[in-house]
Amino acid sequence: MPKAMTYKANSVIYFQGDVSDRIFILKGGRVSLNSNDIETGEQVRDFIQTGEFFGVKSALGKYPREENAVALADSHVVVFSVPEFEQLALSNSRIVMKMLNVFSNQLRRLHTKVRGLLAEGEQADPELGLFRIGEYYMKKKEYEKALYAFQKYLTYYPSGAYHQLANKHAQQAEQYVSQYGVGRGPGLRGAESGASASSETGRESAGGRGTGSAKTGELDPVAKQYYTAVSSFSQGNYTGAMKQFKAIVDTSEDREYVVKSMFEIGRCLFNLGHYDSCIRHYTALVQRYPKMPDLDDALYYLGQSYEHSGDTNRAGGFYKKILSRPGVSEALKRKVNNALRNLEGA
Amino acid sequence: MELNLDAFERFAVHFDKGNIIFCEYEPGDAFYLIQDGRVQISKIMGDIEKTIDILHPGEIFGEMAILEEAPRSANAICLDPVKALEFNRANFEVLMRGNPQIALKLLKLFTKRIYDQRRRFMILTLEDNHAKVADVFLMLDESQAGSKPEGSERVFYTTPGDIGHWAGISPEVSRDVLNQFQTQRRLEIYTDRIVVKNINEFARFVNSRRKKRDES
Repeated sequence: MPKAMTYKANSVIYFQGDVSDRIFILKGGRVSLNSNDIETGEQVRDFIQTGEFFGVKSALGKYPREENAVALADSHVVVFSVPEFEQLALSNSRIVMKMLNVFSNQLRRLHTKVRGLLAEGEQADPELGLFRIGEYYMKKKEYEKALYAFQKYLTYYPSGAYHQLANKHAQQAEQYVSQYGVGRGPGLRGAESGASASSETGRESAGGRGTGSAKTGELDPVAKQYYTAVSSFSQGNYTGAMKQFKAIVDTSEDREYVVKSMFEIGRCLFNLGHYDSCIRHYTALVQRYPKMPDLDDALYYLGQSYEHSGDTNRAGGFYKKILSRPGVSEALKRKVNNALRNLEGA
Repeated sequence: MELNLDAFERFAVHFDKGNIIFCEYEPGDAFYLIQDGRVQISKIMGDIEKTIDILHPGEIFGEMAILEEAPRSANAICLDPVKALEFNRANFEVLMRGNPQIALKLLKLFTKRIYDQRRRFMILTLEDNHAKVADVFLMLDESQAGSKPEGSERVFYTTPGDIGHWAGISPEVSRDVLNQFQTQRRLEIYTDRIVVKNINEFARFVNSRRKKRDES
């Protein structure tokens, strides 16, 4: 049972450094918590309001008291053990919520301070950090984990400094996952040699991919490659088509066909039911090429993918955005209006 | 305290063994309460992946996400097939209000985090690197409370890199400081552990530095 107690003026309720499982609530009188500020070392006094708890953190966390609790006037308190306090808290969630608020504020402030002190040292750039995690797992042949990290990278930094490399590694990781499984197959070294192998054919190594490129021969113009891929797509061979489009993206220097192929890769993903990947792909594409010719269609597929993923809010957002754009084709407008009616009916 | 979480079923998420739930540096907006399976918390430091903790059903992780949108500070990886409840800022308050058990759990976790952060802060505000490193050992010693050995010698299964991490200094600087301590015969460095010869002496050393600051 919680116990009512009285402390005379100027008596100490507990000392800094004490270890105790007692939690107090002030019923009347005046109590001050005295401590030294951890930043400046200055004396700090915190006055407890009537009805307020004190001694909670150290009791719940089982660590030494961080302050002296002193009764400044004759004070009445109720003392709880930790289990008694928990009992009370469970029947009164407002108490816990209030404390959660207070504690989370303290924690946030502490975090900010700690981060400030670390500013010059260990604070890594999160973009590079995320990319390096992918690299680490790639080296360790944990392709699924590598894939996760690279995909996250591409989601959050679609046009980041390492997006080309991340893209390349992600594809490689994806391939290795299915080809070798976990812990086998080439590491990052393999990926690098893949890039250098393709640079031997006279291209920039960045963005290159050693495997999976269509063997169309050096004399075949990129247009032929493109239409072969389109033909695969129209036959419903989306996986094959996607590979062929990717090969164009990786090997061609013809910007027009590269952008077109990237657009088609999104359609392949959509038709394969990979809505998440499709969203990521088009989001990245739209940011990179805001003036691309197929932009309206890309927005439409974004809307469709969100709709299929159950995010009707975002889907609706994209549909409305399309309608607000100038020069949208009538056919697309009809499709978008249908989709919007569908959403409202749902 | 048995948790009845049937009402939370629709917040359940499932992961396969080996899946990453989140990785370090990823922006975070959710935290998790494990229901089934174990979750490994790890950090990649240089060329090795260090396990920081292994969490079991009933434990919470990723909770910093509800405080601030800072990037994740570690990886969370499934050691088994994992079922967890996923909370985010949007559903958090409603869920906590309706379920004080989880709120209380979180409250306790926060008390621990506050203590850890305060302690870390106190280390970082020391002026010289020797005091910082010594204080890291004191902190590690405090966290072993309850199973304190007799005498003043302490064994820590840690590395110069880890010590540097806590002290907010580079692994190289940390190694330098530790080597000097070793030359002074105040500690011994092995590949898997560091032996502090007299932890009380480190406590006096750190206290005197802290006092000097407070008086200045």
